[in-house]
Amino acid sequence: MASMMQPQIILLKEGTDTSQGKAQLLSNINAVTAVGDVVRTTLGPRGMDKLIHDDKGSVTISNDGATIMKLLDIVHPAAKILVDIAKSQDSEVGDGTTTVVLLAAEFLKEAKPFVEDGVHSQNLIRSYRTASTLAIEKVKELAVSIEGKSVEEKKGLLAKCAATTLSSKLIGGEKEFFATMVVDAVMAIGDDDRLNLIGIKKVPGGNMRDSFLVDGVAFKKTFSYAGFEQQPKKFLNPNILLLNIELELKSEKENAEIRLSDPSQYQSIVDAEWNIIYDKLDKCVESGAKVVLSRLAIGDLATQYFADRDIFCAGRVAEEDLNRVAAAAGGTVQTSVNNIIPEVLGTCEIFEEKQVGGERFNIFSGCPSGRTATIVLRGGADQFIEEAERSLHDAIMIVRRAVKNSTVVPGGGAIDMEISKYLRQHSRTIAGKSQLFINSYAKALEVIPRQLCDNAGFDATDVLNKLRQKHAMQSGEGAPYGVDINTGGIADSFANFVWEPAVVKINAINAATEAACLILSVDETVKNPKSESAQGDAAGAMGRGRGGGRGRGMRRR
Amino acid sequence: MALAFDEFGRPFIILREQDQKTRLRGIDAQKANIAAGKAVARILRSSLGPKGMDKMLQGPDGDVTISNDGATILEQMDVDNQIAKLMVELSRSQDYEIGDGTTGVVVMAGALLEQAERQLDRGIHPIRIAEGYEMASRVAVEHLERIAQKFEFDVDNYEPLVQTCMTTLSSKIVNRCKRSLAEIAVKAVLAVADLERRDVNLDLIKVEGKVGGKLEDTELIYGILVDKDMSHPQMPKQIEDAHIAILTCPFEPPKPKTKHKVDIDTVEKFETLRKQEQQYFDEMVQKCKDVGATLVICQWGFDDEANHLLMHRNLPAVRWVGGVELELIAIATGGRIVPRFQELTPEKLGKAGMVREKSFGTTKERMLYIEHCANSKAVTIFIRGGNKMMIEETKRSIHDALCVARNLIRNNSIVYGGGAAEITCSLAVDAAADKYPGVEQYAIRAFAEALDSVPMALAENSGLQPIETLSAVKSQQIKENIPFYGIDCNDVGTNDMREQNVFETLIGKQQQILLATQVVKMILKIDDVISNSEY
Repeated sequence: MASMMQPQIILLKEGTDTSQGKAQLLSNINAVTAVGDVVRTTLGPRGMDKLIHDDKGSVTISNDGATIMKLLDIVHPAAKILVDIAKSQDSEVGDGTTTVVLLAAEFLKEAKPFVEDGVHSQNLIRSYRTASTLAIEKVKELAVSIEGKSVEEKKGLLAKCAATTLSSKLIGGEKEFFATMVVDAVMAIGDDDRLNLIGIKKVPGGNMRDSFLVDGVAFKKTFSYAGFEQQPKKFLNPNILLLNIELELKSEKENAEIRLSDPSQYQSIVDAEWNIIYDKLDKCVESGAKVVLSRLAIGDLATQYFADRDIFCAGRVAEEDLNRVAAAAGGTVQTSVNNIIPEVLGTCEIFEEKQVGGERFNIFSGCPSGRTATIVLRGGADQFIEEAERSLHDAIMIVRRAVKNSTVVPGGGAIDMEISKYLRQHSRTIAGKSQLFINSYAKALEVIPRQLCDNAGFDATDVLNKLRQKHAMQSGEGAPYGVDINTGGIADSFANFVWEPAVVKINAINAATEAACLILSVDETVKNPKSESAQGDAAGAMGRGRGGGRGRGMRRR
Repeated sequence: MALAFDEFGRPFIILREQDQKTRLRGIDAQKANIAAGKAVARILRSSLGPKGMDKMLQGPDGDVTISNDGATILEQMDVDNQIAKLMVELSRSQDYEIGDGTTGVVVMAGALLEQAERQLDRGIHPIRIAEGYEMASRVAVEHLERIAQKFEFDVDNYEPLVQTCMTTLSSKIVNRCKRSLAEIAVKAVLAVADLERRDVNLDLIKVEGKVGGKLEDTELIYGILVDKDMSHPQMPKQIEDAHIAILTCPFEPPKPKTKHKVDIDTVEKFETLRKQEQQYFDEMVQKCKDVGATLVICQWGFDDEANHLLMHRNLPAVRWVGGVELELIAIATGGRIVPRFQELTPEKLGKAGMVREKSFGTTKERMLYIEHCANSKAVTIFIRGGNKMMIEETKRSIHDALCVARNLIRNNSIVYGGGAAEITCSLAVDAAADKYPGVEQYAIRAFAEALDSVPMALAENSGLQPIETLSAVKSQQIKENIPFYGIDCNDVGTNDMREQNVFETLIGKQQQILLATQVVKMILKIDDVISNSEY
């Protein structure tokens, strides 16, 4: 009875949820595998899309791993890591987000039997790390450089990379069309790192084939006042003036008040105000500009004034558009109309207002610096264009990456099979437990070709066996063989131009291994009770929580 | 929805509020989505063609719309299902881009989905179906290009344009005077078109409607119609050879924008102020008179004193004219919008041959016609009709006709309507199917079959035997190898659409096929629907 009297030691705050040990590790692995299963079917050219409603009722249809992971709104602590690696892959290389999630989940799945058998997870982690280093070295070794080719040739090769990325997306049917467009856009901005120089404008309606690339800037017609239609809508080699001021008749100072004692002075005040605005407008006209753009409003008076003088103007232009015009046309944005020197004016070959679908667009093309590009996307439904934009973003990132580190590897699961083979061979040279672990790492890599087959409805086992046979050939000629998505057999991915930049694969292997190791190294989760304010909805959620009855105290309200 | 369970069978919480979410995946998701898409298409099916029926839709505020236009019907239906929304957007994109064929595109997509369902049951992978559809759509579009005929037209010879617009209008409620409406639409578009650049800005065409009169009274005004009357009832109702001052400043003493205050402490000062105000009015009117204006159109109002003065000085005026109308008037009359009286010059005046006020029937409502303008680049279509719903529907029909005329100016290729284009595409696609190895072949054949559903629906709506009629026309097309046999919806007695003058624009038809394929691909590609259960 004495032990009963012993006071209970309260270490953690009441309501804290803890779970620990092997069971905890296994349950984390299970959670991660479950998340991996969600995105599994989106991989590859025959991958499917997900339709996700969020809390607000808005809907996204996507094939992009990172987007899906973000929208799933995952709260499980271990599974959240997968969301993070998908995001990091997205921001680092822009593509391969599904791959990275799938690989991480598969690594853990392979580790699970070992953990169940009582292997210390640190052992696993060490072997996984070694395996990933070896794998990355192998990728680098296998990668083929496209450096030193002529611009035309390089463009073709880059387009191949972009096409591989796009093939799994909704716009896959027109991948060549979009791939060339993306390559042209990326080439246009050159080495500059400012990705926002590539604008993507979405215009619902029309067909995706109607999408086009402007070697300059395009933006939607802004709100216009009466008189706008009387302005000319097309110029050749116009001077472009960019402003950040309001051209409106208004009080110059907010809080100023004028007191008049003599009614006859009235007119002079009115005239003075008009003179201020006319002075501004005159200066704009004097500068020789034919197109005046401002980030702030251009009022009806100014619109009519410009219309009288055959000048085009647009007010309330979005800042990013204005900056892009500045970059493209070579002008600078002015905050005053005083002292406008010719150097601050931009120019372009053609300026035109054009009808695109239901909208009118202002298009500046043939800009001297040529450092911007705008892709105008067309498509049948809003969801469609949204998804197309995400896909193009991926493709743009891939091309940019490929321009910088110009090495590519064969896709279609070929590189994964080759690394897998290499690691398997390597593992045989190791004595000790590590052999098993590296072998299982190698097996996990095979998930990519296997999933490609599964998604396409092929017999995965059959295809994988064919692939293994090819890759096991001593001569090494089987190395570039991957899944042939069209026939259900195998084919030389390299010859079929299914290419990925090497950096995508390297980053994916790195991030997935990192994530797997991180999850393996966790053996205890301590979950603090939700703060008082969030108690209302948290109490319910915790009640269903994992970890059985342990530490599940209901707080007083 | 639970994704995973631990060793005791308890679900993990992986997603936020996961038990409130439902998940539909795999073939079930596809089937559910297809069913939703088909349901939308079924609603519109009966609206297709010249014998198609209208739908009556009651809005949340009790307002009633009667329409035959696919885009309008779907918009008003306010659908909630996501897939159904995709179909609505599909119809809307067709509306934005082409303006016509909004019903046809949805019927087409519905048929494609129906066929896809059959292929899914056979166990064909959804993406392969979608890819097959894409191949087929390319074949169809190329085929259309081949059979399309160009026709020449110019400003004087616009008969072909009228014929095409008539095809569009024939399915609408206004078809009893389709000839005159089509002519109005074509003339309006030609008036504003820039034939060199092949660009038409439809903003320059104003469509006005007024309840009363009959549809036949609908007219095209080479000029502007303003729903305003003269500011003073005694002003002249008709001005010939008007010189119009277009003002954006009120007939009022000018006010500085900065906050101001006038200190009046003596009677003299008050007197001066009053006098000055009067002088302002006087000067303003004088200014207008001086430059030779015979009509003042003002964006703002003017008080009774000014009104009286204007009347007195015999200067008719219109007040409270909206900015958009003001702009149109300026464009039409070749005038400039003037922001200040000081800037009025004779050159800035707009010129119109005739300005007249017209009252309608027994009502006191009046409208102002500004006609015979210096520059007729802005026109107005004035619709009359028995009731408001009729006018609204006529507006929509005219819009469709305007869009068709615009498309023809952009690209003067046409294909034959009445389902002829679909039937010949169906034949072409069917023939092409055998050349494709692999599973796609089945999908391509399914596409050909889906194409048949448009003429089938046409025949059905016209009270013909759908299968008999379709097969008869099809065999006729093959036998004579002529692509313009279609469904004889109006019972004219011939299947030859060339004789019946039933045309559609090539781009409109191509767009229909491509858009429908695109959306169907999107729907087929979804295999997982995650949603909150309340949706």
